[in-house]
Amino acid sequence: MVAPLGSGVAFAAGLFEGVRVPAHERIVLPNGLTLVIVPRRDVPLVAFNAVLRGGELGNTLGKAGVASLVAGLLEKGAGERSAFQFADAVEGVGGSFGAGAGPESITIRGQFLARDQPLLLQLLGDALLRPRFDADELQKLRARQIELIKAAKDSDPSELIGTYGHAFLFGAHPYGRPVIGNESSLAQITRTDVLDYYHGQFGADRLTLVFAGDVDSDLLKHAVTKMFGEWSKAPSPPAPLTPPARVRERRVLLIDSPGSVQTYFWIGNVGVDRRYTGRAALDLVNTLYGGRFTSILNTELRIKSGLSYGARSGFTRGTVAGEFAIRSFAQTENTGKAIDLALRTLTRLKQEGIAAEMLESARAYVLGQYPLEFETAADWAAAMGEIELYGLGPAYIDNYGAELRRVSVRDARVVIDQAFPSADSLAIVLIGDAAKIREQVSGYGPITEIPLTDPAFDSIH
Amino acid sequence: MSTPIASLYLTLGSVSAAAASPPACVPGRNAVRAITLTNGMKVIVWPVQNIPSVALYNWVRAGSRNEAPGITGLAHFFEHMMFNGTTRRGPGEFDELMEAQGGSNNAFTSDDVTVYQDWFPRDALDLVLELESDRIANLAFVPKVIESERGVVYSERRLRVEDNSQGLLSEQVQAAAFVAHPYHFPTIGWPSDIQSWRIEDLQKFFKTHYAPNNLTLVLAGDLVPDRVFALARKYFDAIPRQSPPEPVRTREPEQLGERRVVVSRKAQTPLLQYAYKAPAAADERAPAVTLLLSILVDGDASRLHRLLVEQQKVAIEIGGNWQEGFDPGLFWLYLTLPEGSDPASVQQILDRELDNVVIQGVSDQELARAKNLIESGFWKKLATIDGKAQLLGEYEVFHGDWLKLFDAPAQVARVTREQVQAVAREILDRRKRTVGVLMPEDAAEHDSSDTEWPLADAGLRGM
Repeated sequence: MVAPLGSGVAFAAGLFEGVRVPAHERIVLPNGLTLVIVPRRDVPLVAFNAVLRGGELGNTLGKAGVASLVAGLLEKGAGERSAFQFADAVEGVGGSFGAGAGPESITIRGQFLARDQPLLLQLLGDALLRPRFDADELQKLRARQIELIKAAKDSDPSELIGTYGHAFLFGAHPYGRPVIGNESSLAQITRTDVLDYYHGQFGADRLTLVFAGDVDSDLLKHAVTKMFGEWSKAPSPPAPLTPPARVRERRVLLIDSPGSVQTYFWIGNVGVDRRYTGRAALDLVNTLYGGRFTSILNTELRIKSGLSYGARSGFTRGTVAGEFAIRSFAQTENTGKAIDLALRTLTRLKQEGIAAEMLESARAYVLGQYPLEFETAADWAAAMGEIELYGLGPAYIDNYGAELRRVSVRDARVVIDQAFPSADSLAIVLIGDAAKIREQVSGYGPITEIPLTDPAFDSIH
Repeated sequence: MSTPIASLYLTLGSVSAAAASPPACVPGRNAVRAITLTNGMKVIVWPVQNIPSVALYNWVRAGSRNEAPGITGLAHFFEHMMFNGTTRRGPGEFDELMEAQGGSNNAFTSDDVTVYQDWFPRDALDLVLELESDRIANLAFVPKVIESERGVVYSERRLRVEDNSQGLLSEQVQAAAFVAHPYHFPTIGWPSDIQSWRIEDLQKFFKTHYAPNNLTLVLAGDLVPDRVFALARKYFDAIPRQSPPEPVRTREPEQLGERRVVVSRKAQTPLLQYAYKAPAAADERAPAVTLLLSILVDGDASRLHRLLVEQQKVAIEIGGNWQEGFDPGLFWLYLTLPEGSDPASVQQILDRELDNVVIQGVSDQELARAKNLIESGFWKKLATIDGKAQLLGEYEVFHGDWLKLFDAPAQVARVTREQVQAVAREILDRRKRTVGVLMPEDAAEHDSSDTEWPLADAGLRGM
């Protein structure tokens, strides 16, 4: 009595229109600060994202990790509050407030009950305009960040593999720098470095403030204007980014983790940027290649062979092209076998492309999952912040459904040619027991080897 | 149709302004509907028209608690096998069909339960329920597929345990904390069992535990309850009820003194873990236990984070977890220490502070902060259909009635400092704890080429 639901049946893609940006206000103050307010009345919470252009890209000191330390210190004492008092003010009302750095921005995000909007504004103002950057808080955060990197190497080496991958793939390009810093660069960062970064990279024209949820629009507009209206612009615009160069051959970075029983691998090349016009096609092809459970990659490495718990692929698209990367892992003894399989899937994708019925399935999948990404006020705060950071406009979300619907097999072929690397031009990064896998991976290209305990991710440079 | 949530939530806004205020009213109580099919399977539906999507949680009352030596890890293995084909559909078809209609899925296993989750567009409801019923009614046991999936599970074990200091230590600590009760077993399974369980073991476990009378199906999202019930009847009614699973008879005997576990491993950072004996999920002191944990480790202002990470700088991270299960479980504290530090000295500082909590109790300010954090966490969860389905299921399965969800904030709001101190006194008892220490091996003492790594030879032969 089971309906014959094989491939080629009618899909749900036509039934759902897509997601549209809700009605919102966008105000640009004379000093360049952008304020976005997205009212949503379903829960008495207000979510916020404060996005400051710059990030690790704004770090001109050659000591990776400055932006990340600056972000971490924003809430470690600001205005009248010590670090503890700040945390207590946030948590005392059940709020959240956390800052982090990315390659191109520092973002503060969090959520408060609607009644605590005045407090939220006060804390945001203090963190952005009056951070203390206490020397002992810096010393503590720096030491802790160094130890957290070591702890990650002990308990989840795969968490760091992307950081190694960026360093190996992008090299001297800013995208190659570890945003979290590395153990040796962090140790050299001084309070002067932190202050230099703050004075050089913070300013009204760099800031987008997004509030979403059960907002008091008048209060927000009034308070933001009063608090930030006189804030000066940053001394200079963010440093321009040039597109990174693609890898033209195959090379291998082997990170030795003696005793490791599994090899974690990352295989990548430079992909495409945030404004890439084929992004709907790109998302569909990547969904099919390594973006969902039945993807080509996961089918080969997990479902059919049982070699790995999972295999995925994805694009990071920044102001300029970030990486395309495949990630997976396999038992030490099967390292070569698993990587061979992954490379074969890539060759197959490049040669054979995507069949029409697969494209339909991916289209239904991406359309079906898309609304789940925009369910809460916090989702909208993040999405609007991203739209501002990359200067995309609401059409980026509004038109996505229609773009997905239009993607043809030929469009898929174009993005495969443009954005997916060929199997002979790749940066391959492995974390595993070098003594046991060195030989298995010797055929992939010239090998650079560093120990997992090395205090840098990029000592090769 | 407008959601009834908006107006009720507004009530909450003013009510929750102070932790000591009367409890907030949780919206939805009147919207949720539930039925029990003739075969004993319960279906609970929470209609919410926020996004055109549905979250489904199928709760199976079987976890590693229902295992025995030789078949440890079997409950978790089903979490994998349930995606690998039925007598009507080949391996992978479940996912292919669901994805082609816009749905995604996942699953998780704990000591107590195995839970299957789907997130899909409302129009895929019929297909998803049909797929869910097919794998309960007709699961296939194909030797080749089983062998392949052993490899996948072993890979997961390597990721989470063998190549993971935290996972490796907590597995040893939990095994030491329980000498009799099956909470002794790691959910992922012992390596030798992963390699050797047999097809008969699988069939028996499946027949017993994947019976409709052992399942609770929860859906939240853009749904009409009567239509869900009609489809549930259509697809699940014919699946026969089975005799209920054997109850877990073994009770853990009282722990009479502190236990210690030391793991040495190639690593840079030492770890320290405490696992105290703690009540079961349904215990009436549950809200106080949750608040105690929050006061100790939740956020940068929490007692232990402030003392150990910010003031004394002897830990780089501290976390905790109360393993809320059917039977009395563990109350965990996890510390990551800086390289080169001495766990014994950290333990002294930690113990002194925990004694303070027991002897002096907690402050009003700490209690209010923890109440507010728990409450806002609750609302954030309720803001999504996924969170709604999860919470309804948790209350139905672990607390006996989904309705109790709607009383949860009130339960937390009612807890007094004295009650928190009372559970602290009861739980934070050194005689009833297991202390785990992971000490980095001195690399210089060993030749790295032939280090005796206890699990390194546990590779899978079946692949």
